[in-house]
This record gives sequence, C-alpha cells and structure tokens, in this order.
Amino acid sequence: MDITLFLQQFLNGLSIGSVYAIFAVGYTLVFSILGIINFAHGAVFTLGAYFTYFLSGGAVGTNGLLANLALPFQFSFAIALLLGSILSGLSAIAIERLAFRPLRLKGADPLLTLVSSLGAALVIVNVLQYLVGAEIYTFSEGIYGDLPASINLGTAERPIMIRTVQIIIFGVSAVMVGILTYGIGFTRMGKALQAVAEDATTASLLGIDPERFITLTFFVSGFLGGMAGALVGSSVSIASGPYFGIAYGLKGLGVIVLGGLGNIPGAIVGGMVIGLAEAFVPTDFSGYKDAIAFAILFVMLLVRPQGLLGRSRIQKV
Amino acid sequence: MGNFLDSYGFLIVSTFWGALLGLSVYLPLMAGQLSLASPGFYALGGYIAAILSTQVLPHSGETYPFGFVLLEMGVAGLVSAVLAVILGIPVLRLRGIYLAIATIAFVEILRVLALNLEITGGAIGIFSIPQPFRSPVGYLWIALPLLVLTMVLLYRLEQSHTGRVFRAIREDELAADTMGIDPTYYKVLSFTLGAILAGMVGAVSAHFFNTWNAKQGTFDNSIIYLAFVLSGGSRTFVGPVVGGMVLTALPEVLRTIANIGGIPLWLGGFLQAMRLIIFGLLIVLGSMFYPQGIVTPELLNRLKLAFRKQPKRIST
Repeated sequence: MDITLFLQQFLNGLSIGSVYAIFAVGYTLVFSILGIINFAHGAVFTLGAYFTYFLSGGAVGTNGLLANLALPFQFSFAIALLLGSILSGLSAIAIERLAFRPLRLKGADPLLTLVSSLGAALVIVNVLQYLVGAEIYTFSEGIYGDLPASINLGTAERPIMIRTVQIIIFGVSAVMVGILTYGIGFTRMGKALQAVAEDATTASLLGIDPERFITLTFFVSGFLGGMAGALVGSSVSIASGPYFGIAYGLKGLGVIVLGGLGNIPGAIVGGMVIGLAEAFVPTDFSGYKDAIAFAILFVMLLVRPQGLLGRSRIQKV
Repeated sequence: MGNFLDSYGFLIVSTFWGALLGLSVYLPLMAGQLSLASPGFYALGGYIAAILSTQVLPHSGETYPFGFVLLEMGVAGLVSAVLAVILGIPVLRLRGIYLAIATIAFVEILRVLALNLEITGGAIGIFSIPQPFRSPVGYLWIALPLLVLTMVLLYRLEQSHTGRVFRAIREDELAADTMGIDPTYYKVLSFTLGAILAGMVGAVSAHFFNTWNAKQGTFDNSIIYLAFVLSGGSRTFVGPVVGGMVLTALPEVLRTIANIGGIPLWLGGFLQAMRLIIFGLLIVLGSMFYPQGIVTPELLNRLKLAFRKQPKRIST
C-alpha cells in the first residue's frame, strides 16, 4: 500500500475510531456502575443525531407524522451539538427512570433489566421513525461555516486529503476524552463515582448517594452517546432512518468487549482499534466491513473475555 | 369452514411458526441463558432450504415433494446443531451476559454474510422457492405435528433429570456446579436444542414465504421472539406458545381495526405502524410487572384444579 493512501486510511480510522470511543465510553460507564448493558444506548445515539440535525436548522422530511416541520430558529453547529448532546443526556435519564429504576428498586434479575432496555430501544426508535419517517437526512453543507470541505495535509503532487468533518470529529472526541479522564480521575465527584462503581453499598455507608450518581452516569453516558450520533450524522448523514443508531449500538458491543466490560480506557482503546481495523478493509471486501467489530468480539470472547485492559474477576459465592 | 381456512390459512400457520420460534428462545432460557440467536439459525435454515430446493434438488412437478421438505428441515437442524455447539462451547463457559452479546454478534455476522455472498442472492435474496402444498393451509401438515411434537418433548423434558438440571442452573449456576453438575454441558445442550428448532422452522418457512432474504435474520427479530416468550411466560413451555401465537396474530388484528371506518386517519396509520412500538412496550412493562409472563406454572395449576371436578383424595 502506498504511503499516501496508508496515511489517509489511518486518519480516517482515527476519526471514526474516536467516535466509537466516546460512544463506547457511554456504554461502559453504565456497565461499570450497574453491571448491565444498556441496549437503549444505540437509540440515544439516534436521538442525538436527530436533535442536533433539527437544532442546526434541518427540517423533517415528507414521510413522518411531523412532515415538513422545522424549528423557527436555528443554531450554529457547535451550539446545536452541545444542546443536542444535553437533550440526549436528559433522554438517557428518562430512560433510566422508566426502564431501569423500577426494576432496580425491586431487586430484579439483571437479565430482566437488559431485556427492558431492549424494549426501550425498540420503542424509541420506532416512535421516532413514526414521527420523522425513515428517510435519509443529510446535514446542510454550510454547518461548519467558512471552513473548506477538506484540507490537504500532503504536498501538491502527493495530496493527502482529509475531510474537515473528520478533523472536527477527532478533535471533539479527543476533548471529550480529556474532560472525562480529568473528571473521573481527578475530581471529588469522579472519585465518588468510582466508589459507587466499585461497591454501591459501601459507598452509601460513606455518605455517597448512589442514586444520584446513577442519574449522573446516565446523563454523561447519554451526552456522549448523543454527541457520537450527531458527529456521525454530520459526517455521513443519518442513513437508514432512526435504525442507524441500533447498528452503531450493536457495533459498540464489540468495542466494549474488546476493551473489557466496564473499563473506560479499554473502551477508548477498543474504539480506536475497531475504527482503524475498519478503515483498512480492502475495497473488494468493503461489504464485510460491518462484520469486523463482531468478528473481533468473538475472538475476544475466545481468547480474552475480560478484554484487552480488563482484569479477570474471581467469582465469589 | 373451508372459506375460513382459505382466508386465514396464512395467518393460522404463521401463528404456529411464532409459537415454535418462541419455544426456540425458551429452550436456552430454561437453563437461564438469554440467547438472541434464534433469528440467525432461522435465517440459516431458510437459506439451506432455499438453496437445496432451487439448486440442488430442483423439481419440475406442480408441487414440490413433501419428503424433500422434511429432508431440508433435517439438514437445517443438523447444521444448526453443529454450529450451535461450536458457538456455544467457548461462549457458555462464561457466565452472565456474554451469551446475549455473542448471539447478537452471531446474528449480525450471518446477516452481513447473507448480504454479500453470491449463493444467498445478496441483498435481493432467493426467489420462487417451490411450494409443497397448493395453499398456505397445507403447511399445517408440517406446522401442527411439529408444534405438538415439540410441546410433548418439552413437557417430558421439564419432568426429566435434564429439565431439573436446567432449572437448577437457572436458579443458581454456582450452586449447581458445586453439586457436581457440569453447567457448560447443559447450557450448550439447551442452547443447541433451541438452535435446532429455529433452524428447522426456518427451513419450512422459506417454502412458506416463497422468498428468503437477509431481512429474516435481524436484531429486530431477536427482540420480537424474545417478546413472544416474555409476554407469554418464561417459566413453562405453554407461555411462549401462547405469546408467539397471540403476538404473531396481533399486527393482523391491528390492521383490521385500522381499516374500520370512523377511525381518524392518523390513528389508523399509527395502529399500522405501532407493531414494534407495542412489542417494545410489552417488553418494558412485562419485565416490570409480569416478570414471569402471563402464563405461569401457578396459573396452569389453578386451571388444572378448576377443570378437575372431583379432587383426588389421598388415602392414608
């Protein structure tokens, strides 16, 4: 492979990988604190993309119940992204209240909560499809203002063209990872969160209210998931309707298993690895690209179920 | 009667497939294993039947030989079994949610393969799969015996040693392990039985639907089959049968309601579109308020008592 193409694919991989990373961190945060996979996370990803699309001035298509509706005001992409992510975070809190908390208070089997989150995902995606239709939504061209559509990182003879949107995605994701690492590792709040994840009962004895931190976790998780959805949506359009979040949600499973369930640095590394692996699929086999995350998932379950960075747990009776 | 069967034959047979697919999810659940693999094996079985009947064993007569269909079902069951063992052994060593995750991955990989391989017809799928019967009602010749047989086997299984082991693993895997039971063996067994059933139903469904494509094995279907079991009940095999039949018929009923005059247009449209929304709500509310489903062993016992006129007296 010639070096230009290699670099180009490498940067593509980093860009999509960083989205996988922040998306998967949202998954893994909830897992670390509740020990449950939140299958509605993919639906929140969808919500984030649509929220941001509408806030940045997009109109509903012609098929849904809300056909041709558009907001009377519009924000710049940066603000729409921020607001859209906050709305996604709030949606995640709502999902927690409706589909998780009632079961948790009953002390139900974790498997049941997983099932309930599947149901929640199905409801959200289909209600959304009913409201806005299943057509493809594309963010308008000018969302990045005056920035050029792509930037040449190479020379004039050997161009390495990178789409601006990919640089933005990578930049935003990197900032998010930085904030999270600081927030979880170095603040009082973050340390309390770690304590709840380690052992909720002990943490509550130390004066930490676990319920508050569960709500916070869902907000952060939804914020990250929604932001990932908006970034992907702005890059490749919201293809295949509201279901596109489900596809990413399933792929995200590969990412968190690769990194180790509940492991935050693992989710970041896992996202990068899968993003890069997808970028280097030869064009002849591009149809199989979507299967890579799942193939990696299988290999991990075979050789290292605790994930790349996970520690194996001893099950106590 | 004949008229009724002609107009509703398709729906009646469909409800039987629903019941059988519910049972294929129920089997691993007997041992406490949440498997979402049924649509994968279902799709696989369908492709096996579609390829065998259109390319390997083509038949030019008016109706496709009944025996060939049974043969395809056998092949589909066998292939599903082998694949389930290969998939199950490494994954079922692990406890908890790994099976759910791995089976999702399995369904997705099969879907991507089906979309890209030449033999499966890519995105278009396989068309004009030959019909062994003149009308959809004819499929009752396969659906009814298959369902009855499966239910009898499950009834026997629940009473048997193996059934008790399944239950022991579901209640507490570690405790079962310390009693000298090999949990992995029994978990793989329950998973494989479910896979065989799904594969066989897939094989005959390919004929039934006449065409087969990658849409048959999707994540959506995983959740739908799960809804069959959870709404019907996951503690006795009667639950998934009831759930599968009712929920398969439900969209049809909703469509009929939507077409009744006097209902506002948006409500009609909503009823048409709401199948998956209803399934989702059923799953969420069901896991909250009816974690055991509608048909529970206690309910069955009460029914049994109600129908028995003279309670047997135990003489001592």
